[in-house]
Amino acid sequence: MGNFVSNSAPAETSSDNKRAHLPLLFGLERSMFHCDSVDPILSVLTVRIHIQFWPIVSSLSIAIVAVFHPASLHGEEEVAVQKQRGAAIYRSQCAQCHGASGEGVDGEYDKPLYGSRSVEKLADLIGRTMPEDEPELCVGDDAAAVSAYIYDAFYSPDARGNPPEILPARLTNRQYLESIADLIGTFTDYQPEGNSERQGKRRGRRDESVPDEIKNATEGLRADYFESNGMNKKDKRSLQRIDPSVDFDFGEGSPAENINAEQFSIAWSGSIVARETGVHEFRVRTPNGARLYVNADLKPGDSNYRDDSSAPSQTPLIDAWVSSGEMREETGRVLLLGGRRYLIRLDYFKYKEKVSSIRLEWKPPHGDWEVPARSDFVPTMVSRVAVVNAPFPADDRSLGYERGAAVSKEWFNAVTAAAIEVATEVDDRIDSLSRSRPDSEDRVEKLRTFASRFVSLTFRRPLTAGQQRAFVDTKFETAETPEQAVKRVVLFSLLSPEFLFPTLNDRESPDAFDIASRLAMELWDSLPDETLLNVAASGGLDDISGVREQIQRMTDDPRTRSKMLSFFHHWFEMDGERDLLKDDQVYPEFNPGVIADLRRSLNLSIEDIVWSENSDYRQLLLADSLFLNDRLVLLYGNADSGEPSEGFRRVTFAPAERSGVITHPYLLSAFAYHNNSSPIHRGVFLTRNIVGRPLKPPPVAIEFKDGEFDPSLTMREKVTQVTRDNACMSCHSIINPLGFSLEEFDAIGRLRKEDNSKPVDTTSDYTTDSGDKVTFTGARDVATHAANSPTAHQAFVNHLFHYIVKQPITAYGKQTPGQLRDQFEKNEFNIRDLLAEIVTVSAIEGTNLEIRARRSKYRQPKAHTASTHPENL
Amino acid sequence: MKTLHRRKFLRDIGLSAAALPFVSGLPSLFGDTLSTGRKQRLVIMFTPNGTLPDLFWPDTTGSDFALKPILQPLEAFKQQMLVMNGVCNRVGGDGDNHMRGMSCLLTGARLNPGNIQGGSDTPAGWSSGISIDQQIKNHFQSNPETRTRFGSLEFGVAVPNRADPWTRMSYADSNKPVAPIDDPYQMLGKLYGQMKDKASVVSVLDDVSANLKKISSKLSTEDRAMLDQHLTLVREMEHDLENTSTTELAHPEPELDPEIELVNDNTPQISRMQIDLLVNSLANDMTRVATLQFMRSVGQARMRWLGIEDGHHGLSHEPDENESAHEKLQRINMWFANELAYLTRRLADTPEPGGDGTMLDNTLIVWVNELGKGNSHTLDNIPFVLLGGGAGFNMGRSLQFERTPHNRLWLAIAHAMGNNIDTFGMPKFCESGPLDLVS
Repeated sequence: MGNFVSNSAPAETSSDNKRAHLPLLFGLERSMFHCDSVDPILSVLTVRIHIQFWPIVSSLSIAIVAVFHPASLHGEEEVAVQKQRGAAIYRSQCAQCHGASGEGVDGEYDKPLYGSRSVEKLADLIGRTMPEDEPELCVGDDAAAVSAYIYDAFYSPDARGNPPEILPARLTNRQYLESIADLIGTFTDYQPEGNSERQGKRRGRRDESVPDEIKNATEGLRADYFESNGMNKKDKRSLQRIDPSVDFDFGEGSPAENINAEQFSIAWSGSIVARETGVHEFRVRTPNGARLYVNADLKPGDSNYRDDSSAPSQTPLIDAWVSSGEMREETGRVLLLGGRRYLIRLDYFKYKEKVSSIRLEWKPPHGDWEVPARSDFVPTMVSRVAVVNAPFPADDRSLGYERGAAVSKEWFNAVTAAAIEVATEVDDRIDSLSRSRPDSEDRVEKLRTFASRFVSLTFRRPLTAGQQRAFVDTKFETAETPEQAVKRVVLFSLLSPEFLFPTLNDRESPDAFDIASRLAMELWDSLPDETLLNVAASGGLDDISGVREQIQRMTDDPRTRSKMLSFFHHWFEMDGERDLLKDDQVYPEFNPGVIADLRRSLNLSIEDIVWSENSDYRQLLLADSLFLNDRLVLLYGNADSGEPSEGFRRVTFAPAERSGVITHPYLLSAFAYHNNSSPIHRGVFLTRNIVGRPLKPPPVAIEFKDGEFDPSLTMREKVTQVTRDNACMSCHSIINPLGFSLEEFDAIGRLRKEDNSKPVDTTSDYTTDSGDKVTFTGARDVATHAANSPTAHQAFVNHLFHYIVKQPITAYGKQTPGQLRDQFEKNEFNIRDLLAEIVTVSAIEGTNLEIRARRSKYRQPKAHTASTHPENL
Repeated sequence: MKTLHRRKFLRDIGLSAAALPFVSGLPSLFGDTLSTGRKQRLVIMFTPNGTLPDLFWPDTTGSDFALKPILQPLEAFKQQMLVMNGVCNRVGGDGDNHMRGMSCLLTGARLNPGNIQGGSDTPAGWSSGISIDQQIKNHFQSNPETRTRFGSLEFGVAVPNRADPWTRMSYADSNKPVAPIDDPYQMLGKLYGQMKDKASVVSVLDDVSANLKKISSKLSTEDRAMLDQHLTLVREMEHDLENTSTTELAHPEPELDPEIELVNDNTPQISRMQIDLLVNSLANDMTRVATLQFMRSVGQARMRWLGIEDGHHGLSHEPDENESAHEKLQRINMWFANELAYLTRRLADTPEPGGDGTMLDNTLIVWVNELGKGNSHTLDNIPFVLLGGGAGFNMGRSLQFERTPHNRLWLAIAHAMGNNIDTFGMPKFCESGPLDLVS
């Protein structure tokens, strides 16, 4: 097939109108135009491609499909022409400073011209900045031509014949947020059952022990019901129990025995688990008085037994304490990181209003308003989690995974704003974080200890004497107060490269703390915890078994679960905002609540498999069950769906009906038009993400105009017609059979027997990447094919590697992808084992630790190890 | 009273000196007002628990009147003063007199039904209407000529940390109380915090640069690229923060004494800090509307700095015959008048920035109370005193009205500020239109 870079030409030269459709189509950009030039195993590009794909899905209501423009049949020639033109421009405008082959010119620009930008980014850079003295000389098509030429001539890693290298990287946005949360979290220790119990004892109230029901509960909220007496809203506790959620309508009555219906008070407390990272909305609906705290740093006034206390308190997320004679609904928004627990407390009282009721709802990211389920709550409280709110510019995804590829002014401003935010939070909480009071005798020492530990954690290693002096001691000497010194230490360390560039230190001579840092970055997107730092300090990471032991320990942590779930969202293109809503004339039942439930259902399926004992990748494709709740059963259930009940339950289907995630209604709906299935979108998803085959870009896009087809056609017939051109079929011979296999599912993923009053046809012939011809009769055949396909396995391995490590997999040795794949197969496709292998490979890179038989022979381990750096230990 | 721990750190590195040069680098901080007309301002000061009519109201009306003891601290400003007897809060409805006195005071609207119980009467909730300060704020903010960064600022002195109809007089709307900030350090942070944050950053950027250079020198060319970019960005920020243009604040940021704890006995210092901040924010045109709320309705402040151990509210309940209580209440109310005099003096002593005369010439101060008299809980004859030239009223008079709804006073002020609304609060009290205070 030769060099497919050539196909970028039609895209460049086609009319603006056509070009405008291109990104909507397969998210094509020139960076992906050389798929064929790359080892198919190397699905860096595959990954890159599918990432570009997702924006279209949100615009599916614009029905679009690709066909060749007749002119583009000569696409390769056109690209050749473009590159010739680029070469000519390069010789006249660039070679003077950069050398004939980009080798550099002494006295001009003496560095070789190579790097890791995509063709498009390179064109953009050239257009904006080159030639240096006259950037307007080479812009637009000229810049694109130069980029196309130099990319393949000498700029790209492939052109240089070098494998990709491990690139310097800053923290990604996710890594920044997770690191800060854990950093501050290291200093907090909240006593569950703390404030209110202690306060109660101090105030001489009844000293009853907590009932077993509450002590043993792992779900729901702790509820304390009080009798009131006028102004004293919590006069006497009458009842203590676990409530599954807060959704009560007491009418004109009393909430419990012995409580006067005219006035009473209830406090619900515990924590709530955020399922995914993002802004969470909360809503309180009541005609009475209520205050809601979420992720608050509770102060004495927040647990008071009198509502007229003047003790300092947190600003509630929702303050609806004063009623107004009518039902009120108030909302508040708060950013929470997925997979973590957050303190929640709801204080409620009734005083002489005619009726009483209270409902607490939330709208999690990608969710809809709902009363949180019992399983969303834990009845014990936790310390506040430090969540940075400063907005960050999006991370680079040009290689298909988020990575800290570059620093920009916007990013630095964000990092500065975030550092100020953290410094302010540390300042506000300094007494509890440092375990001292302003009038403590050892205040200064406590603050200095806090500061040293803080810097050490941000740097992921013990401080050298020089660092201790520069980052801590001098601040305490020069600041006006020790509190101000702490603030400066925080700002200084959070703006320093030791924190922001976690790979900085390990490029030349990785030591045990670098290994620890890699483990934490890869498994948690965060900082090493103190256990890991201690293990590193005591030599526990000096041998491979010690490293593996830590991986094992760290995998069994909510942060790893959270990162793995994010990975699957990435793989299934569920990250980002996505509009699944359908034509409500055709699918009136498919409302935002159903979409939210489907997302939870898919999350449950993923977590059920990944964290089961076998953690079998193949089950993701082959499982014959869905997790459904009552609302979903109505749409997707079968005769075996069981009786109505709380929460989600596993519902098993006939094997022909459902087959793993590819038949999950969430993904089927995501890859569909607003009023029908879309075999093309489903087919492209299956091709790139599930079967793991790269696709060439369609050089020209046209709209899929539903109205222009014979109205009696089925969707399959329309797609067949619009892609029948031979040129189209070079890709659509792969895409269509895969997409058609899912024609048994309508636009919302329900099983169907007919489309447009004709029986659906799910049978097609398909040629595998090794050239074998097979016949698919439906979704399960595709799933089975993928589950047994080395290509698919390799794509999964690469995809996981890139998401976890955020570096090109071949930078760890040319044989690393294949070795990891082989091991994956040997381990019965155990996903957790694969994760551990990936993390091990990355963690020990450049050290003298070895995984026998899986290290590539030509990469010599470097000599330095932790033990050669005593100053760090 | 609150017992927040001391927050010395709020007085960060060399405030005014270091902060000034880059103030103008953040123009959004100070709005974009460059109005040509005169800047009108409104300041409303609240003190609680009624007054002592016999020691407050002048014996005569008109421009020839003598100030009674409570008003004597304001003697110097008599020619810029209106003393308004006979203006009444006639709103009525749910809630006890203290609640209605407080939460209907600036709104002229009834309280919503609710779950807050006073010492008598029915329970009630928040006010059902907007307050006059927020009304004027909205009016000013709707016009680019009068728009300011904050629109309004709500200052408090010793306001307890709780939210109910006794502690809130300012309302953005029905059920939307606006909380005063009674911590001067917090207010300073609100006014100048952004600058201080930047100053803190400036204080470490040098260190960051030095550290970057040190690390960078040890790296290979390729690895150094990102770090060098980082260094460039650090330098750019240093440059941005240090070398922006030289426009200065009309008035430097006040330096707050860092040692003041937010406890009852420090109320006199806190009061002066808040007044200084208030005048400063007006001088720098961060806002043109401000409220200053001392304590709260039913406030029990123990004014030990006046040698008074009793709580204020308790004293205010004592019968007129209790001479000791009467004498103490006189001292308390004179202390409030003194704080008002300090505020007025500060404005009178400050030349109008970019204009003629003094700031007091362009500011209307309204002194309000939730009750007319403490021991009767009456909402009639509330001791309204107006000061300054901000409304263009005919000042220097003692006026006597006949049980006139206070809604009409707020209408007059709205009109004077260019906001020609027909009614404010309950319409039935606005039927006779704005009070005529001009002629």
